[in-house]
Amino acid sequence: MRTRLIIAFIVVALLSALASAWFVNLILPYYPSVAPAWLSGVISGPGGLPHLLYTQAPGLGRAARYPAPATAVAFFLCAAAVLLAAIAAVVYAASRRVLLPVRRLARAAQRMSGGDLSVRVEPSGRDELAQLVTSFNTMASALQDKVGELQWMGARARQFAGDVSHELRTPLTAMTAVADILPGHPGLTGDAAAAARLVRQEIFHLNRLVEDLIEISRFDAGTARLVTEDTDVASAVSGCLRARGWTDVSAEVPAGLIARLDRRRFDIIIANLVGNALRHGGQPVTVTARAEPHGSGEGRLVLEVRDRGPGLPAAAIPHLFDRFFKADTARARSEGSGLGLAIAWENTQLHGGRIQAGNHPDGGAVFTVSLPRNGGPAITGTVPQPVPAAL
Amino acid sequence: MTTVLLVEDDPGAREGLVLALRRLGYQVRPAATGEAALEGIGQDTVDVVVLDVMLPGLDGFEVCRRLRRGSDVPVIMLTARGDDFDIVGGLEAGADDYVVKPVEPRVLDARIRAVLRRLARAGSPAETHGELVIDRGSLTVALRGREISLTPTELRLLLVLSGSPRQVFSRQQLLDLVWEHDYLGDSRLVDACVQRLRAKIETGTAEPRYIQTVRGFGYRFGPV
Repeated sequence: MRTRLIIAFIVVALLSALASAWFVNLILPYYPSVAPAWLSGVISGPGGLPHLLYTQAPGLGRAARYPAPATAVAFFLCAAAVLLAAIAAVVYAASRRVLLPVRRLARAAQRMSGGDLSVRVEPSGRDELAQLVTSFNTMASALQDKVGELQWMGARARQFAGDVSHELRTPLTAMTAVADILPGHPGLTGDAAAAARLVRQEIFHLNRLVEDLIEISRFDAGTARLVTEDTDVASAVSGCLRARGWTDVSAEVPAGLIARLDRRRFDIIIANLVGNALRHGGQPVTVTARAEPHGSGEGRLVLEVRDRGPGLPAAAIPHLFDRFFKADTARARSEGSGLGLAIAWENTQLHGGRIQAGNHPDGGAVFTVSLPRNGGPAITGTVPQPVPAAL
Repeated sequence: MTTVLLVEDDPGAREGLVLALRRLGYQVRPAATGEAALEGIGQDTVDVVVLDVMLPGLDGFEVCRRLRRGSDVPVIMLTARGDDFDIVGGLEAGADDYVVKPVEPRVLDARIRAVLRRLARAGSPAETHGELVIDRGSLTVALRGREISLTPTELRLLLVLSGSPRQVFSRQQLLDLVWEHDYLGDSRLVDACVQRLRAKIETGTAEPRYIQTVRGFGYRFGPV
């Protein structure tokens, strides 16, 4: 921007020099009385200037003095240099006045987009720039308030979900304790017996849902904690499958593969992925695990759950781990709570790992979990919720 | 018939658990507060106590501590899902095990039976290990001639470990043998119980003599 200003100034200087020269040469001589004396003095230059510039013309008489060629060139160069210097100085001084606040504003805007909504800039002076700075500050305050409000609302909603789930435990305790009593009663037949069985089934469904909601609310509140110990992966996987009666799910895990994991959470990751594969994918479902070297540490544990079903629709893949997401909206109800994959994701994150979903080239879906083998960084709580893009 | 003292303040939960336990074949004495439970404990024989952690007035931990002053009756604590149950605190107060509400009757039944099994007596003669005398017949343990009082679970842990001296047991194995929890049991139960046991039978020197830690593997009894 400065170069443009300098060039503009030079052009203006040249134009004004040209205009003055034309005026002095073409107009002024015909109106000698119009110009006041001091102006004529300025135009003809200070008195001593000819004495300084002119030298004796060789071979001609005393009156013939003229500026020697060298002097002429020197005068031109000096004048040009002084002029350029003056132009540069003026441009720098003026642009500094403008550019400094602009740069400050640009830096502030950058910090804001980086997440720091508390930046403000000091306005100086009362010109348009100062007004711009003041507008910027006002906008930043408004943005900060809005985002704060949204975050507070989000926290309240999460807190409420957690509170509701906690409150539900008490009536559920009573219902769970007696859920089996009515269906087993010999006096209850026909519709009444069917109703009793339905109530029992729904009580267990509610239990799972509340359990999952409470689990999720702990991730949201940042109170989820990792309790790790050295775990034999093969026995963890087989234990998980056996406990749920999934005898037709095959597991291929090398013996002696050890990883430092939170047993309970690892079990939930496997169970939720396998359960999902069985419910929404298709048989046969396989679970494989292996160690993978990674960097200089002990490497990673990679667990894959694969099914031979129709595979995942591409549109669903980015949303699979969202809460209550149903890929197939036509299937109104599933046995799960709708939170299984979200909980698997959170548990993986808590370990410092990654989880991905995709389709296997030979058909079916494959979920890949990658966890650090040595317990990873001590991550407590969850990744903070991102600031919403649109307000 | 086994008598269960059930201490639970919420009326619905209490009634539901009473119905469930009765259906499982237990005789149930319900109590709504810790104070009522402590009053009732002296009167008739109670075989096992199922004790809610969150009680008005005296909380579950305090009730357990007071119970323990006069009795070795097995205590199972009832904690609610999502409340971080202080496993160490529970065992310190003298509980033997814990179960999470809402609880299915068959799970509660399994825990009660497991905890009662710890009181099963064997017929072998008293064993001496260093200054420790363990009598499996009378289920008593004496240190330097003085009988020490252990909860059923601490006793069971000691019996399991001392039953195979120098054999290393992993936490998972102990969870299974002592608590009969499934493969997902919380192994902190084992660590906390070992601490409790050590506090009672070790003489406080630097290295534990009877219950030894084998780093990376688990625990073993001796060599003394």
